[in-house]
Amino acid sequence: MAVEPGTQSYERLIVAIAQRRDRTAFTALFGHFAPLVTAYLRKAGMGSAVAEDMMQDVLLTVWHKASQFDPARANANAWIFGIARNLRIDARRRSRLVVLAADPSEDTPPVPLSDGLVAAARSAVAIRNAIEALPTDQVSILRLAFFEDLSHSEIERKLGVPLGTIKSRLRLAMTKLRLALKEER
Amino acid sequence: MIKHHPSETTLLTYATGALVVAHAQVVAVHVASCPHCVQQLQVLVAVGGALLEELPPAPLASDVLSRTMARLDGPPPVAPASIRSDTNSALQSLAMGRWRWCGPGIQMMKLARRDASGTRLDLIRVAPGVALLEHGHTGFETTAVLQGAFDDGVDHYHQGDFAEADGTLDHQPKALAGPECICLIATSGRLSPRGLLGRLVRPLLGM
Repeated sequence: MAVEPGTQSYERLIVAIAQRRDRTAFTALFGHFAPLVTAYLRKAGMGSAVAEDMMQDVLLTVWHKASQFDPARANANAWIFGIARNLRIDARRRSRLVVLAADPSEDTPPVPLSDGLVAAARSAVAIRNAIEALPTDQVSILRLAFFEDLSHSEIERKLGVPLGTIKSRLRLAMTKLRLALKEER
Repeated sequence: MIKHHPSETTLLTYATGALVVAHAQVVAVHVASCPHCVQQLQVLVAVGGALLEELPPAPLASDVLSRTMARLDGPPPVAPASIRSDTNSALQSLAMGRWRWCGPGIQMMKLARRDASGTRLDLIRVAPGVALLEHGHTGFETTAVLQGAFDDGVDHYHQGDFAEADGTLDHQPKALAGPECICLIATSGRLSPRGLLGRLVRPLLGM
């Protein structure tokens, strides 16, 4: 289910939370993302109770950090996925000695919110189109890596192609995706 | 100028959240000072966000929304700390343990013991001109250079650079002239030192 850009996008829901602590917006966001984030965490090998707890933490982080959301830098999907993967890595960390979530892009110049929302909507479309335009063998590597939690040697076995081929397909995919996103910026 | 980056596959695994924690920490330290990898990572995370839409939504308990809403006014969940974008502050926040002598001109600080995947995380500090024992790898090794530089026999790695080695690489890294070389290293599997001397001192290095 995709929300039309410019009307009631997910980005706007996050902005509504940031500006007005809007609980209706949170409910709408939760309705869409909670089942998807839970599905991601389940695919990462978590039991349903653990996944549900962490999903709640992800959505609560969205609520508390909404004011840090910058649609010019990441669309809603990318931002929420980023929070989920950060919490997932963090949960496996044994000590808090070593810091993890690198976010050096904080020093990028601020962009007006309206421009940011347009950029986010465009980048979401651009990335979707770019993924659709990739050859199947390149997309399947991305899918396996993101949601089947396979190591590269497992991907190697599953696809029946050597690691070198996987690496070169991945490199090709990355180049195309990066170009597609750059054109939108 | 950073020249060496994580491979695409390593960065992808890091982006998905699946990379073994110790290696993820080394990648994070590199990314914190590398605009190139920040950009790559943004693309990968955007891909993850887009692919999220393809997943079959997981069924949720009927009261999970209300339970979450009830927590909105409570404290925020504990957030992962973030790295500031330079290797010096990364070093300062990491080096809180005790340096252990491991040979002339070589010291190590254990940051994390071997985890379930058999991966450990250490800081290593090597005086200029000093070479480590020649060794091979049985597993994956990632290194972020926090200070100084080293030569692994193939190339030079300077502050900010990232090196990765798998079971196929035999190398004898040597610290280059200049400030002492300090690296964050995650090691999976065992190192396999070449030569009798190497095997004799392995217990000393705790490898």
